[in-house]
Amino acid sequence: MNIILGVGIILVFGLLSGKLAEKVKTPAITAYLLLGIVFGPFMLGFISEDMLKVSGTISNIALSLIAFSIGQNFSGKIFRQVGKQVMWISILEAVGAWLITLIGLLFFKVPAYMALIFGAIAAASAPAAIIMVVREYKARGQFVDILMGVVALDDAWGLIIFSLSLAVAKAMYLDLSSSLGSMLMGAVIEIAGSFLVGGVLGIILSRIGLFLKNQTDLLIWTIGVIFVATGIALHFHFSVLLTSMFLAAVVVNLNNESFKFFDILNHIDWPIYLIFFVLAGASLEIDLLSKIGVIGIVYMIFRIVGKFLGTYLGAHIAKSDDDVKKYLSLGLLPQAGVALGMALIAKEQFPQAGNIIFTTVAATTVIYEIIGPFFVKLALHKTNQIHN
Amino acid sequence: MYVKDIMQTEILSVKRGTTLTQLLNMFKTFHSFPKVPVVDNNGVLMGAVHIRSFFEIFQPHNQDLLMRNPLSMVSREPADIFNVDIEEEMGFLVIVADIMDTKVVKVNQNDDLKKAYDLMQLHNRDSIPVVDDQKKLVGIISVFDIVMKIFKEKGLV
Amino acid sequence: MQVKDIMQSNVRSVKKGTTLSQLLISFKDFHSFPIVPVVDQEMVLLGTVHICSFFEIFQPHQDLLMRNPLSMISREPTDIFNVDIEEGMGFLIIMADIMDTKIVKIEQSADIRKAFDLMQLHQKTAIPVVDDQKKLVGIISIFDIVMKIFHEKGLI
Repeated sequence: MNIILGVGIILVFGLLSGKLAEKVKTPAITAYLLLGIVFGPFMLGFISEDMLKVSGTISNIALSLIAFSIGQNFSGKIFRQVGKQVMWISILEAVGAWLITLIGLLFFKVPAYMALIFGAIAAASAPAAIIMVVREYKARGQFVDILMGVVALDDAWGLIIFSLSLAVAKAMYLDLSSSLGSMLMGAVIEIAGSFLVGGVLGIILSRIGLFLKNQTDLLIWTIGVIFVATGIALHFHFSVLLTSMFLAAVVVNLNNESFKFFDILNHIDWPIYLIFFVLAGASLEIDLLSKIGVIGIVYMIFRIVGKFLGTYLGAHIAKSDDDVKKYLSLGLLPQAGVALGMALIAKEQFPQAGNIIFTTVAATTVIYEIIGPFFVKLALHKTNQIHN
Repeated sequence: MYVKDIMQTEILSVKRGTTLTQLLNMFKTFHSFPKVPVVDNNGVLMGAVHIRSFFEIFQPHNQDLLMRNPLSMVSREPADIFNVDIEEEMGFLVIVADIMDTKVVKVNQNDDLKKAYDLMQLHNRDSIPVVDDQKKLVGIISVFDIVMKIFKEKGLV
Repeated sequence: MQVKDIMQSNVRSVKKGTTLSQLLISFKDFHSFPIVPVVDQEMVLLGTVHICSFFEIFQPHQDLLMRNPLSMISREPTDIFNVDIEEGMGFLIIMADIMDTKIVKIEQSADIRKAFDLMQLHQKTAIPVVDDQKKLVGIISIFDIVMKIFHEKGLI
């Protein structure tokens, strides 16, 4: 099958599966992932090798668009808007999940670079699944407000933690023999390079954007600059995520009407994400599922512990209510899109371990998507956010 | 020709603290909801309320914030406004600051008309608020104002 | 609830032969141009005139050319400040020349939910309402619907 027919079929069935998922109250992303597994080489064998070859390119595009959108959160205005509680809790629950998962996996003799990656992926959560529960139960109140703020922001921290961890993990993996110093040097260059590319292109995007007069040009210009940034980052082995995120952060803080660069992408981004998640599902190696047992369980449990401790500490510092301290972390368990994206990057970077990371995260994602909403509900009940 | 020469100066504006019920009462007899600028106590432009702002009331919290994470969208369905829980007291509890759009596109009254027109085209808007050098609201200018002005100049009206 | 229960039935409409000057004069004091339905002698809906319709005057045949994406020289907005319009055009141009025939309309007996979905899909804030003979009977706007809901819930 040629690639155009393949993409067409993915889009058509992706739309259908998304609508179906909505009927059974599941986020569309989970449906895309499952569709990918069904279409993939282990079941229908419908998605050809050719298509899986381009999936790397599509992931890079999708991930840079996601990181670009999430990057617009890094403005002083947003930080003031969400308030102290959301800031402390979102940062510390993300860091908490990372640290505790990392320590837990190290304890179970998982190699350090793998543990680092797993830890970073643990930081991400899935806003869509959480919003779905809140919407279904028409939950309202201060607890819900804080939960929504934390959920909106924690992927931003998650992407930063992941990018930094990946840089260090790559350095550790590549030169096991060399000194700690040269290892860290590699990581520092990767991060600094990303900031430089994102920063310079951010200034260009914003300044030249002032001269554009219609929506078509704006769309072309925005996508063009994002692709240039992503392409340069790939060429020099910088971080695609950090580069795009920093690009967005610079634009948001430079330009009063910066929302135009983000809103214009709303017309085109969703089909790309759809293809991205279906292909992610298709590249899942089902036969590895049986081998993830211990790592999967340790990852899941320590992530929950980490989210709880981080939230507790953050809520303690920000002087939140006891309800927030005790129960907010229950609302943060679902995991989906961003975690899968991170796992796909890991899969590309580390030939062997990457497959285990990706398969584990894909499997735990499905489990989290099933049990996660139950815990969100529990948290909303415990804190009396569900009326009637 | 400058923006101030043709802008509308008699405009309705609201404060951040204006309640939903107060806002609705102002437009009770209207069939289309115009763009209503929001100003602070000194008249400085803070944002605007438009027809889509009302959808914020029907959506879960912090919609604005969640939109910044593309994957937070459950789907791109519009809000199901026919099946929502709104209680009477929300008319007093919800204030303009909760629903207003802070993505303001504005133009200075001393700017050229062409600049106002280009801005409206770029952002796909029918009208934008006009401010003075102190960022205080002084009027509104619409595409129709500009088109009408041109027709008048050419002698069609 | 049906569209006819909340639509505005007192609508300003124009004929195909209404001239540009006649149209402009009746909206002389307006600051925003609403959607104006165009009807024939029997009130059958033929099209609508809206703010973008005026750009047809500044750039004739745009509507037709748009159907071939590559016919666009560029997507720059029309330079309306620098166009050739003569006074006589006010009488020469009629609604049939500039109206938009891509009409999104709704039957008066349809559910208001359908009207809302249609407006969302086509990104319109108001659409004309017709009866089963396709005759114009009113207009319904998103604001009418939102207001109705707020009214029902006792907010106003």
